[in-house]
Amino acid sequence: MDRNEFETLLHDFQRGRISRRQLIQVAGVGVASAIIAACAPAAVGPTPGATVQATAQPSAGATPVPTIDINADWTPPKGVDLGDTVGVTTWPNYHDPKTLARFKELTGVTVELTIFGSNEEMLALLLVGGTGWDVLVPTNYTFKTYAGVGIIEKLDFTKIPRYDAARYDARLLTPAFYPAGSANQYGFNKDWGTTGFTVNTKHVTTPITTWKEFFARAQTDLSGKVMIHDYQLTSIGSALVAVGHSFNSVDKAELAEAEALLKAVKPHLFAINSDYQPSMRNGDAWVSMTWTNDAVQLHRDIPEIEYIIAADGGEIWSDFFTILSTAPHREAAYAFLDFMATPKVMAQDAIFHGSPLLDKAAIALLPATSTGNKISYPDTASLSKLEFGTAELLTSQARSDLWARVKSSA
Amino acid sequence: MTAVPSPQRAAAPHAALDRAGPWVDRVFRAQATLIYLFLYVPIGLVVLFSFNAGEHTGELRGVSARWYSYALNDRFAMGALQNSFVVGIWTSLLATSLGTIAALALQRATPRVRAIFDAMTYVAIIIPGIVIGIATLIFFVNIFGFVNPWLDFVWKTAGLGTPPVIGKGLHTVIAAHVLFTMAIVMVLVRTRLAGMDRTLTEASFDLFATPFRTFTQVTLPQLRPAIIAGALLAFTFSFDDFVIANFVAGPGQPTLPMYVFNSIRRGITPEINAIASMVLAVTVTALIVVGLIFRRQARQAGERSQVPVAMGIAEDA
Amino acid sequence: MTGREAGAGRRGRSRAVTALLLAPTSAWYLLLLVVPLLLLLVFSFGARAPEGGYAPALLLDNYLALPTRATAFVNTLWLAAGGTVLCLLVGYPLAYYLATRAGSKRTLLLVLVVVPFWTSFLIRTYAWITILGNTGIPAILDSLGLGRVVLINTPAAVLIGIVYNYLPLMVFPLYISLERLDKRLLEASKDLGAGRLATFRQVTLPLTSAGLLSGAILVFIPIMGEYVIPALLGGGKVFFVGNALVDLFLQSRNWPLGSALAIVLILVILTAVTFYLRVGSRAGIQREVSIL
Repeated sequence: MDRNEFETLLHDFQRGRISRRQLIQVAGVGVASAIIAACAPAAVGPTPGATVQATAQPSAGATPVPTIDINADWTPPKGVDLGDTVGVTTWPNYHDPKTLARFKELTGVTVELTIFGSNEEMLALLLVGGTGWDVLVPTNYTFKTYAGVGIIEKLDFTKIPRYDAARYDARLLTPAFYPAGSANQYGFNKDWGTTGFTVNTKHVTTPITTWKEFFARAQTDLSGKVMIHDYQLTSIGSALVAVGHSFNSVDKAELAEAEALLKAVKPHLFAINSDYQPSMRNGDAWVSMTWTNDAVQLHRDIPEIEYIIAADGGEIWSDFFTILSTAPHREAAYAFLDFMATPKVMAQDAIFHGSPLLDKAAIALLPATSTGNKISYPDTASLSKLEFGTAELLTSQARSDLWARVKSSA
Repeated sequence: MTAVPSPQRAAAPHAALDRAGPWVDRVFRAQATLIYLFLYVPIGLVVLFSFNAGEHTGELRGVSARWYSYALNDRFAMGALQNSFVVGIWTSLLATSLGTIAALALQRATPRVRAIFDAMTYVAIIIPGIVIGIATLIFFVNIFGFVNPWLDFVWKTAGLGTPPVIGKGLHTVIAAHVLFTMAIVMVLVRTRLAGMDRTLTEASFDLFATPFRTFTQVTLPQLRPAIIAGALLAFTFSFDDFVIANFVAGPGQPTLPMYVFNSIRRGITPEINAIASMVLAVTVTALIVVGLIFRRQARQAGERSQVPVAMGIAEDA
Repeated sequence: MTGREAGAGRRGRSRAVTALLLAPTSAWYLLLLVVPLLLLLVFSFGARAPEGGYAPALLLDNYLALPTRATAFVNTLWLAAGGTVLCLLVGYPLAYYLATRAGSKRTLLLVLVVVPFWTSFLIRTYAWITILGNTGIPAILDSLGLGRVVLINTPAAVLIGIVYNYLPLMVFPLYISLERLDKRLLEASKDLGAGRLATFRQVTLPLTSAGLLSGAILVFIPIMGEYVIPALLGGGKVFFVGNALVDLFLQSRNWPLGSALAIVLILVILTAVTFYLRVGSRAGIQREVSIL
């Protein structure tokens, strides 16, 4: 689909002539690239009506991590007792400590982060219950399950006034927070990203471009220096792509091929670990399966570490802010979400974690070092083969059995 | 307690084996040295890197004590340390008192009751932390799920204001730790009771002492080494436990091992080394002080040092 | 009041007192051991809810599906056995030295075996990650021209971690056993013309077999339930039963299968303990060690 066709579709959708679902069906996998084209910073100006104070300093290269002053832009809701803590369950290296400290300054509420490396772990503890968490940051493919089981609640957007749906491109979000047929929202977008791999080019001189190469070279010249996630979604998915199938496949024969590949590569791996930053930083590993935000941070500190989006496919994901239905500090949770929905705050956070955003107002506030960062905002062409994870992957027993077999193999 | 002539005991082991010659002695000493090196080099590295001026524990970049002040000012780390101490002390107190009482009570129980308790004690000790951690977590959450609505109902009906909500917290960690440590104390005390010299108790009765006085002045002092050993073991286990605490601790109230584990995942800084070194220093100092006190007591009483007895690795001779 | 009635009254009071004294411990055992284990047992016959967790059912499927995790079990058994043997090989000479040759410094040296365990178990294990990692021993070996050896994230690393963490549990029972050994028997053996090795084989070893068994069981059983050492030193590549359990409960969320695996693990451990007690009692040992 080319740019014009997409624009037509987008206009039709915005005018209500076609439904969201029709839009996805027509746009298909190329949706990803088209959306990004639409969201690319160069193509977007501030949406009318949004009060955007562009106080961002143009990046003069003076400070490595510029900041945005958010002083006048957000105040806590009046007359609401927020308590003194709010529990946020999220991913590693995903929130700027300065943002959380600022929230505490303004409201007196301490943000307690609980970190996990996979949605599965979050879900497991949510199923046990009694977690005491308030805000959850899940990935797109979990929404159907979470909303269906009632783990997350429909958001009351009167309490999140700084959120404006018009600033976000709906297409990237639809699979995530609109359960089929519902007009209610369970979350709003934090950021999106991809799952590729980082390569330490000081030690790896010939480039790796595909997952196929990744797994092949892990067994030969890069033996002992490669890491994959301890996460069935991305590790099995990437192996599937490497053998020529879809990232989301649950077909038995295709899974068997992926399993064979994983078992063959396992003895050669340095580690199977979703906390790969320490090992990449100290040189124990030269190549690792990586998420966008970690790649941005690694490259920022160690420029020879490059991020590659595999040419043969992989995962594109988006993460959302949600509120748990059992949240003990609901008011504080809403205040936190409202705070994070503020474009300046979201932009400030993004400078730290590096994942690309969908909020056009926030993107407009980002310095050129962020928006020009090819890891954060890659060329649309590189995204054309990526797939969003599907809901059934969260619950597939076949894939989790496969993963257990791989982990226990010699 | 009867004085075995020390020189005789000291001479006996050497007599038989020294005839082997000095080189065997040297081999033994060498291998012992190697093993102690094996045990202490990692500890030494931990302490060494706590003085690392750099950011990473892997590479030494200059010497500085800044991580100590960083650790002492780190609210989260100090909070976790405090939580571990609180849990450890409560666990030790509860486990020691409950375990000792139960061990004494089992003396007077029927064989069937004793067998049941023995079985449960064994299971409590050998069950892996993972299993009991997960099982206890599921149990707690379900119990709280029942109790909280009931508390809600009672409070609202009685008009007492906001009802309390029971959740996971330090109390759940203490409860889970007491299970295992109480079992250990029971085993220690029961073993000691079994090996105790009955004649003294009988003599006490013959001299018309009341059961209570017999207990406090004859039995309890003999049990003291086992009780002390149990209390120390209970504290150590609780302080160092990660697996069980990880499952049953409350949100925002991590214990020190939980804090350390999360740091390992995120990328460890020398702050952790500093905390570990401080804990090590405190415990070694405590050990030295206790050892000195024991030795002074023993010297005053003219007996051999009671330390090995207190540690449960030697009997009262 | 007849003597029998008085006796019965006294026994009744006595029994009440015993029950009262045992009540707190019973409550603890009941609530925090028996009930949770019963929960696991019930779960092990259940079904996995679609999103994960437990759905009420009465099926044997989970026990039948256990062979899917058999490799994890076998891994654990091998490494537990290997770790136990290594602990024995390292611990016995040390205990022998402490019991027979250390003299007056005996107690101090024994305490020194324990002191490393006053640092956090996690931090100690983490120190080994640095030692066995690319900047540690492999770097030293490489500079000596012995080539690049991969130590970290291997079963070997897990074995080293096991020996490091469980050595005292092996040394203590061995020490006690050796210390109680009547040295005059060794003298007698020498006087009868037996060489050092023969003395060791025919006198020392059999007489310390109790301590040996105690040490072995004290080490083997906790290793069966280990999770942290393979997780930290195995880099996700060494998969023990403990890791399989964590995976089943916290990743795949297949609680029924996880419960079945946990029950079987407990049964295996109980079997090992029973075996130890039988063999031990047949060898005529007394309770040498405080624990077990």
